[in-house]
Amino acid sequence: MEPIIKVENLTKIYKGGVRAVDSISFEINEGEVYGLLGPNGAGKTTTINMLTTRLSPTSGNAMISGHDIIRHSLDIRKMIGVVPQDLTADEDLSGMENLLMVASFYDIPRSIAIERSKRLLEMVDLLEASMRQVRQYSGGMRKRLELIIGLINEPRVLFLDEPTLGLDVQTRTTMWDYIKDLRKNYGMTIILTSHYLEEIDALADRVSIVDHGKILITGTPTELKASLKGDIISFGFRSASDSQAVLEYPKGLDVISSADGMVKVRVENADESLPELMSFLFQRGIKLHTLSVQKPSLDEVFLQYTGRSLREEGPADRMKVMMNMRRVRRT
Amino acid sequence: MSGLLPLMKRDLKKWYRNPVFLLTGLIQPFFWIALFGSAMDITRLAGPGFNTGIILQGAANYITFIVGGVLTITALFTGMFTGTNIIFDRRLGPMGRFLSSPIARSSIVFSKIFSSVIRILIQAGILVLAAAIIPNGLVFPGGFGLVDVLVILTAIILIALIFSSLFSVIAIRMREMNTIFGIVNLINLPLLFVSYAMFPKDFMASWLSNIAAYNPVSWSAESIRMVIINGSLTASQWSSLGLWLGALALLAGLMIVITYIMAEKEIRD
Repeated sequence: MEPIIKVENLTKIYKGGVRAVDSISFEINEGEVYGLLGPNGAGKTTTINMLTTRLSPTSGNAMISGHDIIRHSLDIRKMIGVVPQDLTADEDLSGMENLLMVASFYDIPRSIAIERSKRLLEMVDLLEASMRQVRQYSGGMRKRLELIIGLINEPRVLFLDEPTLGLDVQTRTTMWDYIKDLRKNYGMTIILTSHYLEEIDALADRVSIVDHGKILITGTPTELKASLKGDIISFGFRSASDSQAVLEYPKGLDVISSADGMVKVRVENADESLPELMSFLFQRGIKLHTLSVQKPSLDEVFLQYTGRSLREEGPADRMKVMMNMRRVRRT
Repeated sequence: MSGLLPLMKRDLKKWYRNPVFLLTGLIQPFFWIALFGSAMDITRLAGPGFNTGIILQGAANYITFIVGGVLTITALFTGMFTGTNIIFDRRLGPMGRFLSSPIARSSIVFSKIFSSVIRILIQAGILVLAAAIIPNGLVFPGGFGLVDVLVILTAIILIALIFSSLFSVIAIRMREMNTIFGIVNLINLPLLFVSYAMFPKDFMASWLSNIAAYNPVSWSAESIRMVIINGSLTASQWSSLGLWLGALALLAGLMIVITYIMAEKEIRD
């Protein structure tokens, strides 16, 4: 099957020579939820802005459903839905008025636009608030409104740029449910950027890890986790001599650390290895004090490929996130 | 340009729903006429018995004389806000939505310009009414006919287009509100005072008057003044009127072309 999105050597160099996006290429199949994961400033939003024709690339190109982002930008804008990172609704208008205004950009006849808006408002639980001015909405309500504004033209491809940035955990999970429903009910192709690992893990079929404008690796979340070669088992023994016993395991173990009766080993699959290890220890009469199994998360994948943790952001980045949050939360 | 009408509708909705905008926009013309028209009444300087008609180019009183100028200045001041509205849309987010919608980029800017022209026309209507109602106010010696209406409308629409486009072009790539306010403050005073909007040309220093002759504010103010003061125009008056309106039309056309090119190519977040 021909991929619906084909990105070839897309590059954006800003004034001053900053390579925000550095010759990235990827393909997305129809109906897929594709995640771009990376810290702030990795080039995710710039990539999205180029694909949604808000920004023109310095070099390279991309095709969306056979249309070229440089020459057919208007055709692409008709076909896609965009939920940008920033809030875009007009605060002085009501939720309904915002939807109808955007609907008229797509030449959707008014009666259809009203009917569709009502359905979308109902979907995200905003029908009751639809006649109120957007300035009275809470941060979560505004994000939900942004989501359905992006859906008003029933797009084939939906771009979600940090759809839950600055939202509390509960609101975020609700957003995830909406996104999952969209995919299930409409078979929409969704491109999602996030710097929340849980979000990508929960939603994306495939993910590319992006850093400094480059794609470091692409795969399904499961594949990426599997590429870390296994799970980590931590044993806590009552004494250091007990801990020696586990090191004598006949099949050999990939020991990460061993100190003060704490032993950490890496195994390919803890579900299979653990029972064998346990019976081995049991036969030798060794009792465990503590035991824990750590399945790899995208956190470790990110650490592996970028050499740093996604959670250790510089102070400037953290500041920016806070500012964004304040904007989102402002009522 | 499928975005033009919905975007104009949005702009006007925001305007008439905001009581402060509406009131200030409507009250300000009254202030101009009543306060400026009385405070700066230059005929008082001449003393009693003096034929004020000579100073005022034949106008019955100072208010009649400055109506053309005040109408033009209202267009200038309202036009200046077109630019700030573009920056507001950029800073508050809606610009991002417009840019990713299938509408012509120029319709984002032209919707602002056209809705500003509509606002100016409404203000102008109220202003003329205000000037006519107040005591010792606007007098039409030759009556108020179709020619007067057409000339006044044409002049106001053209001057509104010129200044609304000018400040839109300035704002097309700008993010800083302070910068545009600075520019507005820098150019509105010379535009206002180096013109025939408020004072008759014979009253001005000759160097000032020579510069003022090339100010579009003068062209519009003089066109409106001429049809208000004179009942029926002589051939030479018709030809100066044609020259002023023609120059305004040319400038407006040029500004629209520049705005179109700039908006299509340069507008961004």
